[in-house]
Amino acid sequence: MLDALKDVVRKSSIHVCLINTGGCNGCDIEVVALLSPRYDLEQYGIYVHNNPREADVILVTGPVTEQWKKNLQRIYAKAPEPKVVVAIGNCPLTGDVFNQEGCSVYAPVSDFIPVDAEIPGCPPRPSEILAAILAVGPDAIAAKGRKKP
Amino acid sequence: MILPIGPIHPALKEPVRLKLKTEGERVISAEIDYGYVHRGIERVMEGKTWQKGIFLSERVCGICSYIHTQTFAETFEKIAGERVPLRAQYLRSLTNELDRIQSHFIANSTYFKAIEHETLFMYMLHLREPVMDAIELLTGNRVNMGWNVVGGVRMDAEEKHLNSIHQIITNLEAEYDKYVEMFDEGPLVGLRSKDVGKMSREDAIKGRAVGPIGRASGLKHDVRENHHTYQDEFDWKVIWRKEGDNYARTMNRFDEITESIKIIKQIIENIPPGDVRKKINIPAGYADWRNEAPRGEVTYMAETNGNLIKKISIRTPSIMNIDVCGKYMLQDVATVADAVATYASVDPCVACTERVVILNEKGEKQVFDGLHKVKYLK
Repeated sequence: MLDALKDVVRKSSIHVCLINTGGCNGCDIEVVALLSPRYDLEQYGIYVHNNPREADVILVTGPVTEQWKKNLQRIYAKAPEPKVVVAIGNCPLTGDVFNQEGCSVYAPVSDFIPVDAEIPGCPPRPSEILAAILAVGPDAIAAKGRKKP
Repeated sequence: MILPIGPIHPALKEPVRLKLKTEGERVISAEIDYGYVHRGIERVMEGKTWQKGIFLSERVCGICSYIHTQTFAETFEKIAGERVPLRAQYLRSLTNELDRIQSHFIANSTYFKAIEHETLFMYMLHLREPVMDAIELLTGNRVNMGWNVVGGVRMDAEEKHLNSIHQIITNLEAEYDKYVEMFDEGPLVGLRSKDVGKMSREDAIKGRAVGPIGRASGLKHDVRENHHTYQDEFDWKVIWRKEGDNYARTMNRFDEITESIKIIKQIIENIPPGDVRKKINIPAGYADWRNEAPRGEVTYMAETNGNLIKKISIRTPSIMNIDVCGKYMLQDVATVADAVATYASVDPCVACTERVVILNEKGEKQVFDGLHKVKYLK
């Protein structure tokens, strides 16, 4: 009974935190474009407010740079359970063009924190990001919440 | 009291740390720390061929990604001593102005979000989407376009697509003034913006402010004045204001959008037929080239041996603009909320700024950030 009630609550109010771990900003502005009236993220009950302490979904854009190696894990630990990590763009998956000889990036991001969904693209379209958040977000959060720690 | 904001914070879109020295609600001075998104892009470029370098230059910044490829291409065209065909120059200017419009819309929307005017924030994003459609029609992608090559542009624009872009721009122009008036005439928006975060002309010169931030403080400086295409082909003027506050910076961007619309109409009406790309042989040599990005002046200095990039240095406008923000604008601001709004009004693009690593005496890597060791406390 309590689990069913929690499921409903968790599915209908998703708070998103966007972490740029060294990307070029391209994926970030596509997330900002999601807020526009054309895509309207908030009609699905998703609210972007960039506060890791309240986040259900953490969006990671960018390869992991020197400064983020420790800080990314710290921020991940601050987000309350249950939480889902979505990696946006090629950078968190492979490092994209930056991951070459002489670079200072430490991709992929899954070396540092567990990743639940991946969206390739440089950058992916807003509709793809929205589809990925909706595909993985509500159910995965609810399923993680039912598991006893 | 020192109030730290960031690097991940509801008020900020990018990782940067503001340290505000406050007395009660009043902000006395500020310090800005960055270094969170250094990726080593210039180091990666060295030793690569210039055909590969242009894709890396595109990813210096995601918002103004177009101007970086144009400047990179024009630097190498200067080494070869050639100019691209006139139709390619027109198409480059067209994409540049479309990119400027969308960048200014997102800058102003961020500012309106910072002053908690959600309605205008939504309107700005609503106006931006058709412009993104126009960019996609022309180049095939929304953000990182891959549209420029050394020697021209990758593909020709079709007549029907140019007509669609003209239609989109005409529609934008028709409803655009309504939203500018909302900001210009709205009493509460004015109160939140006027006389907040003031920077005088002398301070702008001392801090080397560029782009709309410098122009809003009375520095009439626009690199497009020196660009051969803009000089010879189009009829336009530099937008500048004298007030130097948040209101002036935002209005300066609004007026530049009007000017960009004017340039785009001229381009589509007068675009000449012909080739869009020609083969250019790059000799060994060095050149530098400056262009006007949406945020100000971007400089590329490149040295090549004809095939590989030997040395490249990229100077982006945001580093100076964030610098003057910490030094001059965030001195003695009335409230913390105003300080955040002032920071948003300089249109900071942190991804642009960080490309240099210095080694300290022990040989440890350290990200260079112009302000890290310098404190601007009184």
